[in-house]
Amino acid sequence: MEIPHNSTARPDTGLYNGKAGIWLFLASEVMLFGALFSAYLLLRVGAEPGNWSMGLMNKWVGAFNTLILIASSATVVLAWVSLKLKDWAGFKKWKIATVIFACMFLVVKWGYEWPAKFTHYDITFENDAAAKKVFAEVFDKKDYTDCEAAHKEIWEERYDAYNKHWKNVATKDKPLDGHIVGYWTADKDGTRHHHKVGAAFDVSFWSHAFAWRHDKRNKGRTAGGKRDTFDEKKIIAVDIEPAHGVWDKHKKHAAVIDRRYAEADDGKATDGGGTHNAVTIETSLISRVSSYEPAHSTFFAVYYTLTGLHALHVFGGILVMIYHLLPISRRMYESDPERFTNRIEIVGLFWHFVDLVWIFLFPILYLL
Amino acid sequence: MAEEHNAEWYEKKFKPMIYLVGGVLIAGTIISFAADLMGIADKWGFSNAILFGLGVATVKASTVIYIFMHLKWDLKFKTISLTLLSTVLFFIGMMALTVGSENDYMKPGGEDSTWVHGKHVPTADENKTEEAPSN
Repeated sequence: MEIPHNSTARPDTGLYNGKAGIWLFLASEVMLFGALFSAYLLLRVGAEPGNWSMGLMNKWVGAFNTLILIASSATVVLAWVSLKLKDWAGFKKWKIATVIFACMFLVVKWGYEWPAKFTHYDITFENDAAAKKVFAEVFDKKDYTDCEAAHKEIWEERYDAYNKHWKNVATKDKPLDGHIVGYWTADKDGTRHHHKVGAAFDVSFWSHAFAWRHDKRNKGRTAGGKRDTFDEKKIIAVDIEPAHGVWDKHKKHAAVIDRRYAEADDGKATDGGGTHNAVTIETSLISRVSSYEPAHSTFFAVYYTLTGLHALHVFGGILVMIYHLLPISRRMYESDPERFTNRIEIVGLFWHFVDLVWIFLFPILYLL
Repeated sequence: MAEEHNAEWYEKKFKPMIYLVGGVLIAGTIISFAADLMGIADKWGFSNAILFGLGVATVKASTVIYIFMHLKWDLKFKTISLTLLSTVLFFIGMMALTVGSENDYMKPGGEDSTWVHGKHVPTADENKTEEAPSN
């Protein structure tokens, strides 16, 4: 049985059925993403001061991914134009380019950006005195007042984009962020032992998402209690390597080059060029450790929801576009070129919508 | 697009449009990124920066919808135009509700003290002192 109006327009709508269908589908998608955008807005406006951590995003990576999606949006329409010009080879060329761009987007998103966040950690402190002690050490100063200006600059850049809340947030609640590169345990007689990161869990550095859990603020709140890595592993101190290009850029305030390199088992001062400098923080001084996972903050919960859903759309688009490059699609093109061209137009409309969503996600998640 | 064009039109008219839109999209991305790097939020204020960023994004989105999604040629079809209109109205309505509900926090004539970190802001009820019962 032949399905009517696959390639010819219906007299009442003036469109072939697939096209009317895709516009209705896109309307439902606007409602889905619209709800999430409005949730983002509400959560952001109501966020507690200094807790909107979008300053932790890598803007360059976001801009790169934006350009990739723009390129894919152009190539997908060029693929459709090629079919209109009866040029199968051209279609194939532009379609493959689109798939490559789409895969690049996902590789950057799921292969680099997310894993990088899962291995970055924030540490907040038990009290202001503890926090000031650690920050003074990070900046290699004897007294916190000597590095407060540098600390303020970094904190505002990362957690308080509009520089409004420095005085409203206690020093203990201003996080130190970076990688956990080692940890310490102690024998009963007090002898301390240093361990490389990874040794405790027998997994690689990049697999450390969610590995470190410690949150005194939530202790006892959930039935059964949350997992606490410090308790489980009897960890008495951790080595934090403050984020590169952030905490080490204030060379005028901090001479961090000669700091002990914590990854070295035997405490040697150099390894890999001596660029990894760490501070050791006693766990008794720490109130919370969290990677940039969804539970880190409202911002990251929203970030993963929005970008995850968007990336799933990209993934779905890739599957469909690969299908259109298979021999079965070529056979359809040969038997009914008009119908196949319409299919490509529909996929193109979906793909442009995916691009549209990202056009708005980029400024609200990375820039503004 | 439902409107039929000949091969020459696609080759000579539509392809240059695609490259032009691609250029606009790249330029828009660079502009918003450069503006952020230059710290427009500090210079112009938060609201203006938001308006600027979303304005650039809207221009980019419009070119995608208008040319890449063929709305320039397809808007005359009611199935598409009414569907789009409904979604736009839905989106505006939802945002209006969101922003409106946020305004509920503002106290008439007073400062928004919703979030004063580390300090409890007493409510009107808490401010009332209990009167001792009179016998």
